[in-house]
Amino acid sequence: MTLADGVQIVSFVVLAVMMIGAALGVVLLNNIVYSAFLLALVFISISGMYILLNASFVAAAQVLIYVGAVNVLILFGIMLVNKRQAFVPVRNAWISKATTAAVCVGLFALLSTMVLATPWSVSTAIPIGDTALVEIGKHFFSDYLLPFELASVLLLMALIGAVVLARRDYLPDELLAQEEMRKTALTLPERPRELISGSRK
Amino acid sequence: MLKFLKQVGDYTKEAVQAAKYIGQGLAVTFDHMQRRPITVQYPYEKLIPSERFRGRIHFEFDKCISCEVCVRVCPINLPVVDWEFNKETKKKKLNHYSIDFGVCIFCGNCVEYCPTNCLSMTEEYELASYDRHELNYDNVALGRLPYSVMNSDPMVMPLRELAYLPKGVMDPHDLPADARRAGKLPEELLEEMESLKAK
Amino acid sequence: MSPGIDLQASFVQALTDLGLPTGAAKAIWIPLPMVLMVAAVTVLALVATWMERKISAAAQQRIGPEYMGPFGMMVPAADVLKLLFKENVSPAKTDPWLFALAPLLVFIPIFLSYLIVPFGQRIVITDLSVGVFLWISLSSIAPIGLLMAGYSSNNKYSLLGGLRAAAQSISYEIPLALSVLAIAMMSNSLSTIDIVEQQSGYGILSWNVWRQPVGFIIFWIAALAEAERLPFDLPEAEEELVAGYQTEYGAVKFMMLYAGSYANLVLSALMVAVLYLGGWESPIPVGMLADLLGVSETTPWLQLITGSLGIIMTLFKAYLMLFLAVLLRWTVPRVRIDQLLDLGWKFLLPISLVNLLLTAGLKLAFPFAFGG
Repeated sequence: MTLADGVQIVSFVVLAVMMIGAALGVVLLNNIVYSAFLLALVFISISGMYILLNASFVAAAQVLIYVGAVNVLILFGIMLVNKRQAFVPVRNAWISKATTAAVCVGLFALLSTMVLATPWSVSTAIPIGDTALVEIGKHFFSDYLLPFELASVLLLMALIGAVVLARRDYLPDELLAQEEMRKTALTLPERPRELISGSRK
Repeated sequence: MLKFLKQVGDYTKEAVQAAKYIGQGLAVTFDHMQRRPITVQYPYEKLIPSERFRGRIHFEFDKCISCEVCVRVCPINLPVVDWEFNKETKKKKLNHYSIDFGVCIFCGNCVEYCPTNCLSMTEEYELASYDRHELNYDNVALGRLPYSVMNSDPMVMPLRELAYLPKGVMDPHDLPADARRAGKLPEELLEEMESLKAK
Repeated sequence: MSPGIDLQASFVQALTDLGLPTGAAKAIWIPLPMVLMVAAVTVLALVATWMERKISAAAQQRIGPEYMGPFGMMVPAADVLKLLFKENVSPAKTDPWLFALAPLLVFIPIFLSYLIVPFGQRIVITDLSVGVFLWISLSSIAPIGLLMAGYSSNNKYSLLGGLRAAAQSISYEIPLALSVLAIAMMSNSLSTIDIVEQQSGYGILSWNVWRQPVGFIIFWIAALAEAERLPFDLPEAEEELVAGYQTEYGAVKFMMLYAGSYANLVLSALMVAVLYLGGWESPIPVGMLADLLGVSETTPWLQLITGSLGIIMTLFKAYLMLFLAVLLRWTVPRVRIDQLLDLGWKFLLPISLVNLLLTAGLKLAFPFAFGG
């Protein structure tokens, strides 16, 4: 065994343990902020796995999209929601927990039998490594064009949805009425904003 | 469509204008970099206090007649005048006099009203001490010769304040000692007034 | 273009000449560049703090640090010593784990990003094929660290600062990435080495800044926003938020946040130098001069000069950008949070998209000038 092989095995074990541990933490911890941070650790471990598989571009994209965007947005969501309420203890809570556990164990068993039963045909092709970027681009614009475009349409829908939710014009009337009530004598009258360019001749 | 194009054009114009203004601002900041620092390197350079500077108060024990006018005009009755009546000479005899500079506001009323001019303002302003009680000056401390920025320490370079610089000069460094300040001096004004009066 | 000095090969060769097996010599070599880089980055960040002080002083007609070493150059060292010896306080009701982890999470990705900064043809730690993309993705980890710092400090100012930092770096990452994409499109590669090589040939005239003037400005604005420099320093706006997410930090943890922010600034300046200002290339190409004088490119002393000139040139360009950043700091006032997001989403994003489109069009129209 050469030095490189040893390093590879050790890093794989470390990454795998880190990923499973962090994933368990995401599910089992009570503090939701810890879960969100551990989710970032899971994503980073996955990106480490990609690096071990010689897919450096996918690894970097994983970090950028999942850690840098998705996870930060999750954290944002958690930290901006200012709801403090004590959990009402549900009676017979153990039933739901037991069901969850049973489902999880069942899924795990199913998957592991599938993994063990399938005769995996290990590809002997040499990983393309650094030229993966070009290959991914070619696939995006040829045989995977439709899923690629559909994904962007999906993102556009999400974007428009967010804009609609965030715009105050679409607030229900009762909320607007409340808003009117909240205006006190201390509120300074504000000049309505207008485009400078629109008004000037 | 035309309105939209006009909006885009206006927007571009505004962006270019903003960039231009930021560039002008940068030029101003850059211009400031090559000017000489206006700061005074304090322990090594000191500004010469101006005329009528209200620094530590000087007190001449022998001139004092213990009239306590200074106490009366003081906003907080600060000066402590300890005297006793001498029955033989029928005069007040001053024992102690003290002013606490930790409390004094340097308004100068006492100096203004002192009938015998035994109180006077100095240009000493470095009064810092480790204990506030040390700021309570007795008549001995009040009678000491005041520290002057000029010619008292070879390590200290006295610098003139802006109003005392020659016309057009902004930098107090490397100034000849006899450089005249801008405008007329007080004694010249006085002379002028008196010559006018004589006419 | 000759490859220049190959430090690794010469080092391994020297050790094998001494009688070591080649594998052992290579194993000895591996940690050397990393250690050197960490030390160098620390020094670069310290120099940046010193420059910030001196230039700020000059811009405000002060003198700045003066008595510690020549021109006050030992002030950063004194800062480090002071922060090292301070008591490591963690305030009451903080989250001890996250509080300790956050500065590391800010600090490590920034130092890791220096992997891809080239100072010469071979003077780079790794020439990754994903080069610049690695930098962008690593810099997107920093907001998590900032959010962590803000959350764990148990302080409303910290939390606000952390949230602002995250919002800011998410919104400015997009124009940043898009302007980098335009560069990558022109040089057909994400590798920093390739990007610099594509700018070589005609000295100052072949630099990307002439082909991508808009991209250059967008990149610099976005990089300033990413590094939380003054027009965009809302996350640590001292008048509003004390010090933002750094409020509760002290001693070594604060030093890590502080060094991280300066290292990030230097990194951004270095990336500007690499992406737009021709990296290690001199304004007048050394190769051309050598040809004029009739010196062969493989002459050892010429290679040495080229190598050291490359390092000096890269650093000079980077610190020139840093100078501009400090100048900008004392020129423009801080923007409000709505103006910040407005600038990012409504101004920089459309313009960088148009810039990308234009670059693509120009590349198709003039393949010789815009990298065919």
